This record gives sequence, structure tokens and C-alpha cells, in this order.
Amino acid sequence: MASTPQRQIKRFGFGRIVEHQANALAFIMLVITGLSQRFHEYAVSHWIIKTLGGVDDVRIIHRWSGVLFITLIAAHIAVGVFGVIKKRWPASMMVNMNDFQNAMENMRYYFGITNHPALCDRYDYKQKFEYWGVIAGGFLMIATGLILWFPVDVARLLPGELIPAAKAAHSNEALLAFLVIVTWHIYNSIFSPEVFPLDTAIFTGNISRERMVHEHPRELARLENLPVEEIVKHHHAAPADKGSRTGEGA
Amino acid sequence: MSERKQVLLGLMVVFLAAVTAPWMSWSAEQGLPEEAQTCLGCHGERGLAFTFQNGERLDVYIDGTKFKASMHQSLACSACHAEFSAQAHPERSFRSREQYSAKASTVCRQCHSDDQLKKSPVHATLMAKENKAPVCTGCHNPHTVTSIAGSRTFVSETEHCLRCHQHAMGITLRNGDKVSLKVDAAALAGSVHAKLGCFDCHFGFSSSQHPKRNFNTPRDFSIAQAEACRRCHFDKYTKTLESIHYAILSQGNLKAPVCTDCHGSHTVVQARADKLKSSKRCGRCHQEIFKTYTESVHGTALVQEHNTDVPICADCHTAHSIQGAHTQDYRDKVPEICGQCHGNATLMKKYGLSPGEVNSYLQDFHGVTLKLYRGQKNGDETAASRKAIATCVDCHGIHDITKTTGPTTNLVKSRLMKRCQKCHPGATDDFPDAWLSHYEPSLRNAPLVYLINLTYKVFIPFMLIGLILQILLHVWRYAVNR
Repeated sequence: MASTPQRQIKRFGFGRIVEHQANALAFIMLVITGLSQRFHEYAVSHWIIKTLGGVDDVRIIHRWSGVLFITLIAAHIAVGVFGVIKKRWPASMMVNMNDFQNAMENMRYYFGITNHPALCDRYDYKQKFEYWGVIAGGFLMIATGLILWFPVDVARLLPGELIPAAKAAHSNEALLAFLVIVTWHIYNSIFSPEVFPLDTAIFTGNISRERMVHEHPRELARLENLPVEEIVKHHHAAPADKGSRTGEGA
Repeated sequence: MSERKQVLLGLMVVFLAAVTAPWMSWSAEQGLPEEAQTCLGCHGERGLAFTFQNGERLDVYIDGTKFKASMHQSLACSACHAEFSAQAHPERSFRSREQYSAKASTVCRQCHSDDQLKKSPVHATLMAKENKAPVCTGCHNPHTVTSIAGSRTFVSETEHCLRCHQHAMGITLRNGDKVSLKVDAAALAGSVHAKLGCFDCHFGFSSSQHPKRNFNTPRDFSIAQAEACRRCHFDKYTKTLESIHYAILSQGNLKAPVCTDCHGSHTVVQARADKLKSSKRCGRCHQEIFKTYTESVHGTALVQEHNTDVPICADCHTAHSIQGAHTQDYRDKVPEICGQCHGNATLMKKYGLSPGEVNSYLQDFHGVTLKLYRGQKNGDETAASRKAIATCVDCHGIHDITKTTGPTTNLVKSRLMKRCQKCHPGATDDFPDAWLSHYEPSLRNAPLVYLINLTYKVFIPFMLIGLILQILLHVWRYAVNR
């Protein structure tokens, strides 16, 4: 397959690419300046804080990175809602029953019960999980972050205990987000054998047709106006033979 | 019989005694002139005393062993006590001990000429005094006097000096102040320096040197003399060089304490041996603060219950390198200082306190900020530009530290409120609740915080293990398919 030139399919527009890069920047800044405070016992945290000019400066950087993140998420929602309603974009990130079915199918595939992975649409269930994780976690981080930024005003309206609670949630959620990104996201976009050494889609905006067949066959079928079975037929024929061999082992 | 003849006679007796010595019985008197042995027959027994007309009593016991070791061992008693001999023991009478001593001193001059005596600076100083002729026996016990050769003139330096300095004596300084030079021999013997000689601290003085010195004021003398301490206590001395006391002293404030002001001079004791005394010593200058301290939870326990677990001034301020307490640097150290005791589990258990309270502060926002501030001190010298972080003393008090339970609870609470508002203007009544008052979050205290932490404690590993399993499955499937 590598011998034939790959047909590239447009996946992301310029706006999405910039958005991802800006989000990545905000996330990295927030993680560096935030987790170094959470893990203040470690020498590396001290080094980071000192290098960035002391804890006061670190907090200022953290807050402005937070402002960037808030802006991005607000813009994203505004653009998303506007696009879906006015320009009739398909609401492709919405979670539906197919996603749960796809997850189950993939499980069966992983355990060798079926010989092909789930047939996913534009965004597969893993991507939706990550997307909604970012949205939900982002809202939690923004809310708790603002409580910590303006504790006096919060305590004027709400009980004071909310402030340490916000700190606990902010710091724990941050750790969770960080761990999910460094394991799941980095695996899926760098180390996964299907994309290694790097999934370039978010940088070039293009994806190979071969990957589309494998990862987003339903979207490809729609694009090429073919039934999805036709799209995946050739692709799954070869592994199916080998699959019988593994079937013996299992 | 002339006095000279008496001496000769005495010498003859000594000669005889020396010859006959080997045949004498074993006793303290062995080897002494025969006459001396006879006298010691009575005067070698303790308890004999002579009563003067004024009622003063003179112990007439002579220690035979010491006499034998003395320079005068070869002399017969009658060499000095002219009217007495083995046969004669006249009844005599003196007005007072002083009169007797003065008379006795003339006997010494029979052998020790004034010119010879004046060679010693001590003697010269004493003999220069017009109104008072020195009395030899005041310093030198004639029955125990030893040879100058080999510097064994006296039993010890201390004894040598105390011969004079144990008596009421003094000098007038240039400003007219009279300073006592009397040394309390008993206190000296009880001090930690009992084994030192006088000259170890009083440089320039020795058994043959007694330079004349004078000072403008008693304070000048104390400050100069305190310099002597560093010869042995150099570590402590260098520490004092960093102290605020030394700083204000070098600025010319002579009231600033030097070693001897806290430790005493001849009565020097370990300053910490008595905690109450030690804190009182600070209170001599810091009176207001000391009073406040004695009313605090720590001070009350010290003063009223003699509880030595409580901190005294030096425990928080240190003893020698005392810093100015208003510096940022010192403020930053507060949690560490309190933690010396309040982080000690056994000690806190004794008083029903929690040892985790210091840590609950250190792990909280303010504690972490403070720690990070301290950590970046080297890189960021502009400490003044940073915010002052609330520490233990802001709520619990400084010298007026109070209990957090009982009638003073509200005092601590009001301090907390005030402290919050200092950095968080506009903080309302609910705001201090943001601080969990050292409570570890639990279902009873701060349940929301507790539940959030618990949720994540379960959720983070659950999520992570799930994702990693997914990844492993994915990799495995891919490997199988190849």
C-alpha cells in the first residue's frame, strides 16, 4: 500500500488547526504553572517556579493562560453553536447510540471475536470521549479556577468552604486531565501504530484515504457516496485471513 | 635573745631535725624540725582557736602535711613566733585580728626585704597605698607558702587572686563610679568555670603581673571583658556577630547586651539550665514583652507551673544569633519555629494537641506560597515586593499566644478575620471559613472537600487503568494482525 501514492482527504480547516494549537499552548502553560504548584515538594517544581520568575509570576502566567483557555472554549462553543444552527453543520461531535455500539464492536475486535474494528463516523467514540472530557473538565476548571482567583467575591455570596473545595477539585481535575492527555491523547496521536510517528492531520489538515477507510469508514462512505461495506471490503479482506490464524491460537 | 639569734637557733634545730629525720616515726610531722613537731602536737589538732579582745576568733590549727610541703618547712616555729618555743608558751592578748596580722607581717620582713617585695607589681601596687600597709598574711598563708620557682607559689591561680579579691574591695572608675572587685568565692566554685583559672579570662594578669587598668564607665569594662569569652566560645561569638544585639552595639548603643549580661561573669551558668531565669534575663531589657509573654499560654505555664516544655524567648529567637523579629526573613521562619514543638507528636500528645496542625498550614495555599517564597530567595532579592504571607502568629498571637479553645476562641477568630482582610480587602464574615482551621477534611469537617478528594482518589486510578488497558489491547491487536 505504501507503494501507491496516498490520496489525501481534507479533514480540518484552518480555524480548527489554529484552535488546536492555541488550546495545546494554553494547556501546556496551565499544566506547567499549575502542577508545579500542586507538586511543590519536588525539586523539579522548584526549578520550574524559579525559572519562571517566582511563584507570583507563575500565578500570573497561570491566570492569563486560563484567560486564553476560557476565550478559546467560549469561541469554540459560539462558533460550534452558530455553525450547527445557521450553516447546518452536522453535529458530528454529538454522542449517539452508534458510539456505544462501536465501543462494544471494538472490544469484540480486540479480543479476536470479530475480524474488523468498529465502523466509525467522522469522530469515533474515543475522540468524542476526549472532546467531551475537555469540554466538561474545562468547565469545571474554569469555574473552580475563577473561585480561586476571586475568593473574596465568592465568599460574599456562597459559603467559604467552597474555596478549599474548589482548590481540591481544580487540583485533582488538573491531574486527571494531565494524565489522560499524556497517556490517551499522546498515545493516539503519536505512539499508536496506526499513526506513528505522528498523526499529522491536525497540522496539515489532511488525512490519508487509507486511514479514513480504517478509522472513519462511515464518513468516507458518505463522502464517496458508496455503501460502507464497499469501502471496507478490500481493506478487511487481507487481515481476515490472518485473523483465522490467530483464531486458532485463541 | 635577739631575733637574729632566734633565727640561728631555729636553723640549728632544722639541721638537727634533718639529721634525725630518718629515725623518726611515720607521721605528718616526720621530717619537720623537732620544735615544729612539738608544736604540732597540739596545733596539729583541729578545733584549737584563739579569741581576740573584740571577740574575733582565729583558728590556730596548722595542717602538718601542708606545712611540710611549704617553703617554710625548714623553719622552726619560733623562727617567726619569737616568744614561743618547745618550752615557752606565753599567754598573749591582742585587740583584734587586724592588729595581730599587722604585727605578724613585720616578722616576714625579717627575711623578705621591702626592696625585694616591691619587685612584684602586686606588692608594689599594694605598698604604694599610703593609708593601708599591706598585710602579708592577708594573701600568703605563712604555714602553706610554697616556692616561687616553678610557678608553684600558690595552690592555684584562683586561690592566689581570691586572697585579695574575696574581700570587699573596689576601684573608682574615671566617671566616678565605684565598682566592686570582690569575687564571691562560693559562687565562683559553683559556676561552670570553676575549673578555669582567673587568668584564663583576665588576660594580662598572672601571679607576677597585675597591670593597673582603668575604664571610663562600668559598661566599658563589661564590654571589654566580654571579649574574653570568645577565646573558648568562638562558635557562639561568631553567632553573636550576626545578631541584632551586636548590630546595635556596634552602632554605639552600649546598652546592647554582651555575653556577661546574660550569662553572668564569675557566677556563669548554662543559660538554659533554668528556663524561667533565662527568660527573665531577656525581660530585664524587654520588660513589656516579657510581661505579655508571662500572660500567654506558654508564659503562664512556665511561671505558674514551672513547665519546661514551653518555649522561652531563646527557643524562638535563638540565643546568640538573635535576629531582628520584624524582618521578612524572620517572619518567614515562624511556621518552622512553631513546628519545632507543634510538629513533635510525643510532645503534642502530652497536651492533647494535634501534631498535624503545622503540616496542615504548610500544605495549604499560604504555607506552600511561603515555602516557595523562601525557596526562591536566592534568585529574587526583592523580597520586599512580595506579599507578606499570613503565618501562625497572625492568628495565634506573638508574645500573647492564647489557647484556641475556651474563652479566647473568639480572640483567635477575630485575629483571623483581621488578618484575612489585610491581604483580601472586603473579605466578609464567611471568608475565613475558606481556611479549614487546621482540620483535616473529613465527613464532619469540610465534608465537601473530603468528598471531592475521595472521588478523585477513586476516579483518577479507575480512569487511568481503563485507558491504559485500552491502549494495551490496541497494541496487542495490532501486533496480532501483523
